[in-house]
Amino acid sequence: MWSDLLNLGIIVSVLAATIRIATPVLFSALGEVTAERAGVYNMGIEGTMLMGAFIGWLATYESGSSLIGLAAALLAGAVMSLIFAVMVISLKIDQIVTGLALNLLGSGLSTYWLRAAFSNMEKVPGITVLRTWPVPFLSDIPVVGPVLFNQGALTYLAFLLVPVIWLFLFRSRLGLEIRCIGENPKALDIKGHSVAARQYAAVIFGGAMAGLGGACLTIASTAHFVPDMVNGRGWLALVIVIAGGWRPGWILAAALFFSFLDALQLQIQGVGIAIPYQILLALPYIAAIVALMIRRRASRAPAMLGVSYRRE
Amino acid sequence: MPVSPAHADTATPRLQVQRLTKRFGALVANDAVSLTVMPGELHCLLGENGAGKSTLSSCLYGLYRPDEGDIHVDGKEMRFASPADAIAAGIGMVHQHFVLVPTFTVLENIIVGTGSGWRLPAAEARPKIEAICRRLSLALDLDAEVGDLSVGQQQWVEIVKALYLGARLLILDEPTAVLTPQESALLFASLRNMLADGLSIILISHKMNEVMQADRVTVLRRGHVVGSVRTAESSRHELTTMMVGRALSAIEAGERSHDGTTILSVKNVSMRDERGVSLLSDVSLDFHAGEILGLAGIAGNGQRELFEAICGLRPIDAGEIMLEGQSLNHRNPHEIYRMGVGHVPEDRFKDGLVPDFSIAENLVLGDHREKPWRQGLVLATGRLREAADEAIRNFSIACNGAEAIVRRLSGGNAQKVILARELARASRVLLCNQPTRGLDVGVIEYVHRQILEKRDAGAAILLASEELEDLIALCDRIAVIFRGEILAVLPGRQADIAEIGRLMAGGTDMQAGDQDGDRNGARNGDRGMSN
Amino acid sequence: MAITAVMGYRIERRSTRSPFAWALALVLAGACALLVCAGLFIAAGADPWQAFAALLKGGLGSKRAIAETMVKATPLILTGLACTIAFRARLWNIGAEGQVFAGAMFAYWCQSALGDAPAPVQIAMIVIGALIGGALLGGLAGILKARFQVDEVISTVMLNYIIVYALSLLLQNGPWTEAGSFFEQTAMVPDAAQLPVILAKTRLHLGFLFALVAAAVVHVMLLRSSLGYEIRAAGSNLRALEFQGVKITRLIIVVMAISGAVAGLAGAFEVYGVQHRLKSGTLGGLGYTGIIIAILGQLRPIGVVAAALVFGVLLNGATLMQIKSGVPSALIYAVEAIILMFFLIAWAASEFRLRRLHHVE
Repeated sequence: MWSDLLNLGIIVSVLAATIRIATPVLFSALGEVTAERAGVYNMGIEGTMLMGAFIGWLATYESGSSLIGLAAALLAGAVMSLIFAVMVISLKIDQIVTGLALNLLGSGLSTYWLRAAFSNMEKVPGITVLRTWPVPFLSDIPVVGPVLFNQGALTYLAFLLVPVIWLFLFRSRLGLEIRCIGENPKALDIKGHSVAARQYAAVIFGGAMAGLGGACLTIASTAHFVPDMVNGRGWLALVIVIAGGWRPGWILAAALFFSFLDALQLQIQGVGIAIPYQILLALPYIAAIVALMIRRRASRAPAMLGVSYRRE
Repeated sequence: MPVSPAHADTATPRLQVQRLTKRFGALVANDAVSLTVMPGELHCLLGENGAGKSTLSSCLYGLYRPDEGDIHVDGKEMRFASPADAIAAGIGMVHQHFVLVPTFTVLENIIVGTGSGWRLPAAEARPKIEAICRRLSLALDLDAEVGDLSVGQQQWVEIVKALYLGARLLILDEPTAVLTPQESALLFASLRNMLADGLSIILISHKMNEVMQADRVTVLRRGHVVGSVRTAESSRHELTTMMVGRALSAIEAGERSHDGTTILSVKNVSMRDERGVSLLSDVSLDFHAGEILGLAGIAGNGQRELFEAICGLRPIDAGEIMLEGQSLNHRNPHEIYRMGVGHVPEDRFKDGLVPDFSIAENLVLGDHREKPWRQGLVLATGRLREAADEAIRNFSIACNGAEAIVRRLSGGNAQKVILARELARASRVLLCNQPTRGLDVGVIEYVHRQILEKRDAGAAILLASEELEDLIALCDRIAVIFRGEILAVLPGRQADIAEIGRLMAGGTDMQAGDQDGDRNGARNGDRGMSN
Repeated sequence: MAITAVMGYRIERRSTRSPFAWALALVLAGACALLVCAGLFIAAGADPWQAFAALLKGGLGSKRAIAETMVKATPLILTGLACTIAFRARLWNIGAEGQVFAGAMFAYWCQSALGDAPAPVQIAMIVIGALIGGALLGGLAGILKARFQVDEVISTVMLNYIIVYALSLLLQNGPWTEAGSFFEQTAMVPDAAQLPVILAKTRLHLGFLFALVAAAVVHVMLLRSSLGYEIRAAGSNLRALEFQGVKITRLIIVVMAISGAVAGLAGAFEVYGVQHRLKSGTLGGLGYTGIIIAILGQLRPIGVVAAALVFGVLLNGATLMQIKSGVPSALIYAVEAIILMFFLIAWAASEFRLRRLHHVE
């Protein structure tokens, strides 16, 4: 049965699934790395993704348009992280505690809203899921085509975002300032620039990306919203940022690794190998702990990550 | 010494501060302070810690907004809402603790926060920065990571950064605290050149030999201007008296009272960090009863590591540390302290105290599991408080009693809490790393007296300090450390400050043979003393 | 430090927090939380007054309601204490959630090996098993942090997911599955192993008293014992403790294990005091709520008990609220998070004050 996995068709479908599954965590991780490079550790990604998934789904259902749904998810993520930013950047509340509070808020609010909005219906309605967008010609290439070029539009966008974020952080003026804040905010402050404004921008961008990542889970994959359906992907995004050493390229690699495990798990169940599914489902979380264990001490972490900046 | 260009009374001052007042709650940090700096003038701000120098410079740099008074730059009245306004007005500042990003290159450190649009302003900045370096005859690799540079070079990055931003008035906050005497001399020579170009410099310092190089000195005490004088018309003695408010008594160290038996010996100790970089190499030192051994060196040359090695806080890779015949290798710090070793660490709030604990709780830190502080399963709070009351009396710690939270104490009082704890432990050895850094003159005297008393009681003492004059006054011998190596051990009181400075820089201006001879001599001297 | 200056006033951070400002901030925060909740009621198409009234009546309206509130508060006191212990040392143990499961599972494993031993033996075994189970999972996260520098927040969250799958594995066609049952659950535990009810005609069980005792013990431990001294010192300045030769790695592991053990009790008490069987799904959320309880209780055991009782009212009253006003009881989870956020904001805001500028330009 294990040999069934080595069939070319299966391999292609595992790899294609890997790319597809990587999409939401990639959005979230790329958003998070921008915030973390600015020294803000937003642990509320899980809750932010959840709100993105819910609001995106709800807006798509109400409007019938996936595009409006996506815009709503971006906005929901931005609003969630705006709350976080006010508490952490302006009020200097502990970043970890605030992040946890944000997760609880996302979980509680989305569940309540779902129940309240559809309390009089027998069954929660579904939405039409975004279809894949095969790239003309490229998707016809054997193996590579179906793996890389027969994906949804959001997937192309997420992968395109990797070089964009890299260029922004390492080749742009604002990116240099953002990285400076993560290492030594005072260096920018004493040149008369607002540290807070840049942190707000980075955090809100990060939140919007997490909202989009969450929306991928509904708008681009399932018709229904289920409470707590993000199921740890937000936390995995945090692991991916650490495992990727705060660099977009390595973050992509780490995201692909975790989604490969997930894709493999689906396929293993598919071909009927007798491993309890619970073990397979737990695999990414176990891998996350192992990944953090073998990674050397967080030497490349921004020096001021998680520390609120106060002048003096 | 070159004399600054004479400024006619009619010239517009570069900076004129009139009756500037800044309050923090009930505390008046600057009380109607006035100050005038002419173009091309080197103006020194002299004052003790807490005299209001930093507050004043922060107001000048737009970090604080003054409550009253006004600031004129080149005759125009200024209101700085942020450092951006100050920079635009031509004011630059080099902070005492450098504000650099160690993982950035020199170029990135200078250009961050400048330019507009999306692109990095690197290409257009590079020639300008190179021109500034040429004018200062400075060899600075713009693509080197700042974390890899020496402290002296980092200082230059800060200065170039300020000049690149267009500074016409440069505020230097204690610029030589981290430099060797030779590096300081070099810095002052360059400053002279900049002054000749018309730059004005405000130098914040309390080192008298630097202060005397300024054209004019303004002395601050408790937020007031005590006076502003031309250095040519004043003297060290007069300025010191103005700063402190009374004449200082020189420390009388006296002769050591004991026969000099070796209590602690460090033999051929080497230490590396995780990446294999050598932190200490082949360090050998003997510590004698009733003697103070000074440790001179520029910050970051292995002083901290040596202290931590002796206390068992960091494992050593080779060599042995012996306390009265017992090896300290593989012992944990707690055991070592219990053997009669006291340690006053470098950073009092970070290493030595639990800021949210009371004085009483801090006094038993480390011994909290030992008798008599423990009563069965719980802490003996009654006894703790009694001991704290006694320490507060004996060390005259200014506080609201034993339950006072240490976070709210001043630096001097916090240091006294540490001293109370560590002196009680130090029956054999007292290790003091920068025990007087950042303290007021009065407290410094007090700390020195305590150390001398401990010496007279027969303890062996290791004292590291950036204040070479203090070391020479207090120490029986002075060891100079450079890149983790002890380059020489010189006899104390007669030591030549220039010689120490030369060794602190690695003794580089000497022939290789000379240096070897010197080191051998040092070893011999060391051996001679321990016989 | 000046933040903004508007019309001659400036917001400044003060060096000490005034009790008056804190009380004022708390009242304002409470009012804001109530307003937001009222908004949520209205959004669900309910009358806020009616819904609030039902909530309070359901939580406090009768002797039975009050007893049931205490039942709901019991696990929250314990998870709140668990978080308090760890948070005091600035160890962010988010794993109370999973440690609740571990405690319940290990207690079940120990107790089911006993057969039909007398009740005191069974209960002693349950308590010991719960403590060990929770301590193992908490200690594991402690080891990961102390020896491998794995951030405890992330490791405990990952372990939370893993342990839920582990329980599901044991319950679904596993060794613990109830014979002939379709659900993921064990058979009912024997009567002798059920925690005795301490108030007739209610579900209030011995676990509530145990939780109160635990609060007292944690209080003394934190404030008076040497370990508590080290925990508090670690929370303020870990490095100073390290400089005194205290073994930090050991301390981290011990604190995480103790924290986990207390959380483990919560799981076992839910199983043996309320559900009387181990099943997946009923233990979820206790640990996460414990985080809120610990912070609202200001990391003090007495505060934790008070906060847990308030949340007990909310959780218990939610059922009646749903029946009477049609507001989904899921509201409570949103309300909990909203209360936490306003509380945090109030705490931070009371550090600021408005100051009139001396000389306005």
